Amino acid sequence: MATRVVIVVRPRPMRQSWARTAFALLVGLWVTNRHFVRNLWGFLRRKPTVFTVQYPEQRLALPDAFRGMPVLVQMDNGKERCVACGLCEWACPTDCITIFPDETADEIERYPKVFDIETSRCMFCGLCEEACPEEAIVMSQQMEIATYTRHGTLWHKQDLLVPVSKLERRLQYLRRGYDR
Amino acid sequence: MPTITIDGRTIEAPAGAMLLPVALENGIHIPHYCWHPKLSIDGSCRMCQVEVEGSPKLVIACNMPIRDGMEVRTNTPAVHNARRGVMELLLVNHPLDCPICDKAGECLLQDYSFNFGSRQARTQEPRRKLQKRKDIGPRMILDQERCILCRRCVRFCREITGTHELGVFNMGDRSVLDVLDGIPLANDYSICTADICPVGALESKDFHHKLRVWFLKKTESVCPSCANGCNITVNHHRNQIWRLMPRRNDAANACWMCDHGRLNYQYVNSPERLRTPLLRTNGQLAPCEWDEALTAGATQLRRIARASGGNSIAAVASPHLTNEESFRFAQLLRALAVTNVDVAVRCGAADTFLIKSEKAANARGARDMGLCPGADGVGLPALLESAAKGQIRALYVCGPDLWETADRQLLENALSRLDCLIVQDLFRSPLSERAHVVLPSLTFAEKAGTFTNFAGRVQRVRCAIQPLDDQPSDGEIFSRLLGQLVEGRWTFDPEAVFTEIAQAVPKYAGLTDSKVGLLGWALPADDTPPLAGAAEARA
Repeated sequence: MATRVVIVVRPRPMRQSWARTAFALLVGLWVTNRHFVRNLWGFLRRKPTVFTVQYPEQRLALPDAFRGMPVLVQMDNGKERCVACGLCEWACPTDCITIFPDETADEIERYPKVFDIETSRCMFCGLCEEACPEEAIVMSQQMEIATYTRHGTLWHKQDLLVPVSKLERRLQYLRRGYDR
Repeated sequence: MPTITIDGRTIEAPAGAMLLPVALENGIHIPHYCWHPKLSIDGSCRMCQVEVEGSPKLVIACNMPIRDGMEVRTNTPAVHNARRGVMELLLVNHPLDCPICDKAGECLLQDYSFNFGSRQARTQEPRRKLQKRKDIGPRMILDQERCILCRRCVRFCREITGTHELGVFNMGDRSVLDVLDGIPLANDYSICTADICPVGALESKDFHHKLRVWFLKKTESVCPSCANGCNITVNHHRNQIWRLMPRRNDAANACWMCDHGRLNYQYVNSPERLRTPLLRTNGQLAPCEWDEALTAGATQLRRIARASGGNSIAAVASPHLTNEESFRFAQLLRALAVTNVDVAVRCGAADTFLIKSEKAANARGARDMGLCPGADGVGLPALLESAAKGQIRALYVCGPDLWETADRQLLENALSRLDCLIVQDLFRSPLSERAHVVLPSLTFAEKAGTFTNFAGRVQRVRCAIQPLDDQPSDGEIFSRLLGQLVEGRWTFDPEAVFTEIAQAVPKYAGLTDSKVGLLGWALPADDTPPLAGAAEARA
């Protein structure tokens, strides 16, 4: 293919001006130094004025509406509340949930034999929580889910179970939403 | 013909017909629970009430014969009010089991509840407690709390199977569906009651807590378990079959299918299936590449055909092959001038309703495609006898039926004299252990084609699940063997072969894809019994 040469006419760059450059430099230095002196002053008075949180040593309290890793609610008898109805599996836009139901002799006759969440695909949208008719899957505040291995991103039922006492605040937040 | 008006639409209908089926056929949906096209009218659910001009009260459409000039309205406030009332009454006691109920997703109560139900219950009394998960038969369980007493299952057991197992006991609000002690629901069609149950009261044990129905993909097919050719829908998900459901075809199976056929799908996903061809090297069967196995088979067949003629080769075709595959197989055998051909069919118990004695879908089709003894060839027992005498040097066996039906001693004698045995089957069997070349074949769910049932009805099978490892179908195997034996380009496309059949087989002349359609096409009747060799195979 023959190469076609196109001559592009660009606007001339802005004229450099030494005065303007020096002014910008001074403004930048002024901002930096103002922060430095202010923080130094706050540090010496033991009342820091910076907003940096020293994560992971320091952590912020997350709001109830925070959507972290979806987890399964574990009832007081140690069993999951989930009945493997499959609505979260159906609602999930990224198909990251896999459920295989099975039957037990308990009063609640159905339970998930397999409940897997592929965390690398999960996008924390919370649709599973919204679809769940049993309040069995909720969004936790867990967001440190990095692993060193690739198969570590697949969470099985035992990894997902969280006692109901630890999820009380989220459950109450959800019920407030339903009441509205 | 009387003319009636439904919601302003003028409809002509045969005299004596009931209003509900007429409306349904014309695309006007009137909600209903107890009415079923193949059962008698019960009129117990009161869901199909409509307004008829001149009638002081609402009438039930299922039991309202049409008359000329009738004016029907299905969308008035009175009708909606009646439906809402019926729904509320049914939901007073219906348990909130939907998350664990197998019917959820295809439940009429759920659907109509979305359409006509109320968001809130007006009652505060506890729901009635009855038996849940009651074991009522070898294949069925009953949840009495979920039952809405439409009596479809009761009528099914009375009118279709004539076995009378199910009944409604007690009266009024204490009515309950049950079986009598010691008389389980064990007839051959028992799972049909789960199909017609509009709620999840009757459930099949096989599908119980297996999968939510909204995950299932559905492919129209034909049941492969006997010669009746019941129309089915293969329900599959994640490339696996989860259940087979009957599909309505009034010419073959109405709305029903037998339990044996319905539950006979596990083998399709069996991990023991043969997936790679096997070739005998140094006395041992070893897995090999497809090309290697096919070349070895073709070379052996060509060598024997050239050395001692086509009469020294015999073939036993499988009644599980589609018409298209049988046609290719017949072409392959003609190319080798083989005349000793027959179809082995396993036979079993039959009844007067749907279950036929030949336990394979396409024995008749295989015969129609020319897989029967030629002019100077012999049929099945004689074929093995002449092999035992050493007159036959190569045997090509498709399917498991020969091993299951033939006399063991005779078969043993025949096998001991063979130079070459080619076996094409789904599983390893004692027969394939003796083979020189073993070729894996595919099941009905993994291939497309047509089956011809016992009465000569050509019905289409569709590919529901993808074969693993791009395994070639039986038809492709025959085509690739043909490609090695005969000049020309042999490919296998079921639709193209179907067109070839319509040109080459007189009985199938002029058959087209649109004629076969979803419900099949009846071939012109002929005098030859469809399974002449089956009786001999059994003997």
